Amino acid sequence: MTRPDATDAFQKGFDTQLTRRILHYVRPYLPLVIGGVLLALLISLAAPVFALIQRHAIDTYLSPLALGTAPDRDVLRRGLTGAALLYMGLKVVEFALQYAFTLAIGYLGQNVLRDIRADVFGKLQRLPLAYFDQNPVGRLITRVTSDVDAINQFITGGLVSLIQSSFIIVVYVVIMLSVNWQLALISFTVLPVLFLATNYFRARLRDAFRETRTQQATVNSKLNENITGMLTVQLFGRERRSALDFNLSNRALLSANENSVKWFSLFMPVVAVLGQVAVALILYFAARQILGVDASGALAGAITVGTLFAFVQLSQQLFQPIQDLADVFNNLQAAMASSERIFGVLDTDESVKDRPDARTLTNFEGSVEFRKVWFAYDQTVTADTPDTDDRWILRGIDLDIRPGESVALVGATGAGKTSVTALVSRFYDVQRGSVNVDGIDVKDLAQHDLRRHVGVVLQDVFLFAGTIESNLTLNNPDIPHERVIEACRYVGVHDYILSLDRGYQTEVRERGATLSTGQKQLLAFARALIQNPDILLVLDEATANVDTETELRIQQALTRVMQGRTSIIIAHRLSTIEHCDRIVVMRRGRIVEQGSHHQLLEKGGYYARLHRLQYAQADAAD
Amino acid sequence: MDSFRTLIPYLRLHQRQYVIGLIAVVIANSFSLLPYYFIRLTIDGLTGQVDTDPATTGITLGTAGLYALGIVGAALTSGAFMLLMRRMIVIASRQTEYEIRRDLFAHLQGLDKPYYDRARTGDLMNRLTGDLSAVREMLGFGAWQIVNIVSGFVTAFAVMFSLSWQLTLIVLAIVPVIVGVLTYLARQINVRHRLAQEQNSLIAAKAQENFSGARVVKGYAIENREIDDYRAMNLELLRRNIALTKVDGPLRSFMSLLLGLAFGVILLVGGRLILAPDSTFTVGMFVQFVGTLERLTFPMLMVGWITGVTQRGLASWLRLKEIFDSQALVRDEPGRTDPTLRTMTGDVTFENVSLRYGDRTVLNGVNLHVPAGTFLGVTGPTGSGKTVLAQLLTRSMDPTAGRVLVDGQDVRVLPLRTLRDAISVVPQEPFLFSDTIANNIGFGLDNRDLPPVPTGVSVVGAPPPDDIPQQPDPARVREAARLAGLTEDVDGFPQGFDTSLGERGVTLSGGQRQRTAIARAIVREPRILILDDSLSAVDTETERRILDGLREISRGRTVILIAHRVSTLRHADQIVVLEEGRVTEQGSHDELLERGGHYAQLERLQRLASDLDADDEAPLDPEAAADRLETAPTPEQVTR
Repeated sequence: MTRPDATDAFQKGFDTQLTRRILHYVRPYLPLVIGGVLLALLISLAAPVFALIQRHAIDTYLSPLALGTAPDRDVLRRGLTGAALLYMGLKVVEFALQYAFTLAIGYLGQNVLRDIRADVFGKLQRLPLAYFDQNPVGRLITRVTSDVDAINQFITGGLVSLIQSSFIIVVYVVIMLSVNWQLALISFTVLPVLFLATNYFRARLRDAFRETRTQQATVNSKLNENITGMLTVQLFGRERRSALDFNLSNRALLSANENSVKWFSLFMPVVAVLGQVAVALILYFAARQILGVDASGALAGAITVGTLFAFVQLSQQLFQPIQDLADVFNNLQAAMASSERIFGVLDTDESVKDRPDARTLTNFEGSVEFRKVWFAYDQTVTADTPDTDDRWILRGIDLDIRPGESVALVGATGAGKTSVTALVSRFYDVQRGSVNVDGIDVKDLAQHDLRRHVGVVLQDVFLFAGTIESNLTLNNPDIPHERVIEACRYVGVHDYILSLDRGYQTEVRERGATLSTGQKQLLAFARALIQNPDILLVLDEATANVDTETELRIQQALTRVMQGRTSIIIAHRLSTIEHCDRIVVMRRGRIVEQGSHHQLLEKGGYYARLHRLQYAQADAAD
Repeated sequence: MDSFRTLIPYLRLHQRQYVIGLIAVVIANSFSLLPYYFIRLTIDGLTGQVDTDPATTGITLGTAGLYALGIVGAALTSGAFMLLMRRMIVIASRQTEYEIRRDLFAHLQGLDKPYYDRARTGDLMNRLTGDLSAVREMLGFGAWQIVNIVSGFVTAFAVMFSLSWQLTLIVLAIVPVIVGVLTYLARQINVRHRLAQEQNSLIAAKAQENFSGARVVKGYAIENREIDDYRAMNLELLRRNIALTKVDGPLRSFMSLLLGLAFGVILLVGGRLILAPDSTFTVGMFVQFVGTLERLTFPMLMVGWITGVTQRGLASWLRLKEIFDSQALVRDEPGRTDPTLRTMTGDVTFENVSLRYGDRTVLNGVNLHVPAGTFLGVTGPTGSGKTVLAQLLTRSMDPTAGRVLVDGQDVRVLPLRTLRDAISVVPQEPFLFSDTIANNIGFGLDNRDLPPVPTGVSVVGAPPPDDIPQQPDPARVREAARLAGLTEDVDGFPQGFDTSLGERGVTLSGGQRQRTAIARAIVREPRILILDDSLSAVDTETERRILDGLREISRGRTVILIAHRVSTLRHADQIVVLEEGRVTEQGSHDELLERGGHYAQLERLQRLASDLDADDEAPLDPEAAADRLETAPTPEQVTR
């Protein structure tokens, strides 16, 4: 169910700037474009030939006998055979041209689609995390799906049919005029009406269709809500009221649907009747000319039965391009709105950027320093914002972590622990002070290098569609299978993986819904180990149900993973905290206590009280 | 076809529309062939072939004018009947869609918790949208097309046969080939379209997980690999789309090729017929023949599609039928339910109640008596069966063994309506609707006397539905909000009680949601009020206010309060500790403290936690402390 995006307009007027940018994507495929245009031209030239062959056959071979001007039946038969064969041969040629044209346009559209998608996706990959915090995933998906599709529609459906239809119309008009200009003018009289009618109905249909979509969305969201909340409805005895309410929406949808059926049912017959009106006009005026009752009398007999038939055919064939042309405008409006949104993404400023002279590093010692770091997620907070502002998340953090040291961050929710870890990876830039790794400000490092050496272990391992193994290696084909197994053995998840249907090649379903919390956590450790970072950040939110055995296993795994690496751990489990070299207690964006487990216990501060509480709980659990 | 039979009742509702519509298709088809008849007459007149006698002098301009008018008249008639057809059949299919949706909704309202525990919302939604559309397409487009194809072929062949049996024989030989080829193409298009769609969904899913997993992608610096992966998937999509284009794109020109070849053959043979000595086949007849054949283009194209539409429609109807066929376990049953029971005082008894899900025991022989008008507190670890206890009382499900009695009557004897009117529940995670706050609070008010939405009837001629009467009494809503400690919050919203919740309105905090749910429960002035852990997201100060309010209105009412905080439970007349589906402790606050069991331990922990609070501004949530106690592994979990 798609909900209308609040920021999404349905249509937008023509915009040269945007069109130029769209055309920019077409440029690499110029040969395809030129080929396509040439083919379109050839097709347009070929199209009226068939009616002319029919005209020729009727006038030259079929009518003379009846008119009593026949030379010889055999000659006529031979001519007829020739015409029929030519007709069939040309049909094959026309089909070949048409096929080539369709493929050329298909390739063009698909390639442009692919390029725009790649650009948007690539851009989204480079945008900082803050961008994802601000934009719902659903909206971003729309950018790489329906918005890109609308542009594709514009190129293949809009621009191409604009070119093709114009060619056909020009060719037909020229030919009809040259064959018989009076008859041509008469058959053209219907076309403006057709164009206007098509345009009018399309606009009505578009409105009606939009209304049905809105109503359908209402019905769907009510359905969804009622199904999800059905038990509440039942407990509160609201069934009848809900049914009445739903009935209102359901009826509104029915009315909207009936309305669009009404317009649509009118549209098709009107076009059909217009077609026959053109035929009738041609018939009457042709008869007039043939019968020689033209006032001037000069034209008597200038028109033939074959011409009449050809005009009937030609005028009908002109209908499609005229209707297509009326559609172009609609396609164009949708494409303008979509391309504006897409270019909006492409033009977004990447606030966290690599410096042009960014340093590349191949190896880290692993020391981390926070120098008087002030940080807020709110982008409007700057270095000059007063210290007292509520939006500051970190308020002057000073922290030195030696290579290989393990540090536990402890504190209440909102104390700023997660922000500290996010800054080491440079997911965000600090407003004041600096975060240094190996003595270099992270702003001076290439993001890619930095993050390759900083591993993040989230408690809920984010699983991608694919196999267990591809999730552990993160699709890096260079990581040998042995290393994966080694890591899994090390953290103690190897046996579990082997117990699955297809071992390491087991497909992960629905974000790993079948895996237990403990198993996910172990997989997260394995993933981090395989990526072999120099600095490890662990976010260990111990809120979930884990049995003692798994708890123990996670504990062991964590200790092993931490070995020889600089580690910053947000820990809730006492056992984890105790094993760290240093404990840093944070409150409201400041460091209030730090030291080893024993030092802090002796000090009798916040940490000591926290410890007492947790031990009481542990006792209670036994 | 068996599945089709079950659809017939719905078709019957629109019998008249379908019959008129289908007749209209036949008439429209016949008239659409007339213009070529008039063209033939004109051409033959102009070439002097009115009859075999070459002496006959063609036609006059007046006659030609009449023929021209005839063409327009035929087109108008055909168009009018086409319009009539759409307004009958297509509208009927839309109405049937409405009726099925309406009836499904009514049926879903009668299904119970066990059903909804199994059913997935996404799946139900799919059936109610995608499958319903497929059924509607079969009834509308499908029905019309089948008749259109049949009548189109029959009338066209009748005309062609009357013109020339020889040429008709040729067409009869060609048409099956064309239809065969087109049917094959239609199937190819279907298959390739599905393949392209699948790849499309994969790409959308890839984008989805990449964006939601941005933290991982960036954290491990695998952006480039992801981009490569995405590109590769797009390349595959391009391949599949081109494969689709290869069969789909040139369909129209392919059709024109096939017809063109047919025309060539007819020109060859028909021309010879005209040129034959003593020929009765005229140029006009030839033109009419060709024109009539051209009318068959669309029906021939459609033959291939129509089987797909029908198959999909029938399969989808089966999936909708599954919903209609599922029955609620918990329902009123004639013979057992006593419809005369209308009021209750609120005396609750659990008599040896056990509940099993499969082989898991959730409640195990619970005995409990709550006298009318008393206050029962329930506590215990997660999964100990507290919520289930409440659900058995409201008959969200029935116990496996034992009885739940209200006023000495088994709840299964009470009409569901009576039972649920007398009980209000504030669930753990309250579900609020995207409606105004007032309507959410008045959710359970004034529902009794509303008329039902009739089901199984035709919507044709039904008057437009009335607006639903009775907004909840604002005074009662306000009072309930006051008691639930919600007034100040609501007054802060832009439109007060008329502020909408959800996507198009405000988002409530967890505590606000809980308090709205409490107001929603107490506004009904129920005999029995159940609060299932519904103060967890409310701070201690507000909690105290709400409890005071509750005490005010709960005089004379039975209150069952499930909670973790000792401070919440301490004033209960009776406190019960549930562990693993059994009642392990029972008594007043003081009695349980003396016993030194689970309850006493809970009290000690919470006291420690609040000590910590006392000198800390960012307190550790005492609730979290209680949670941790609960999540500590039980012996059962460890051995499992």
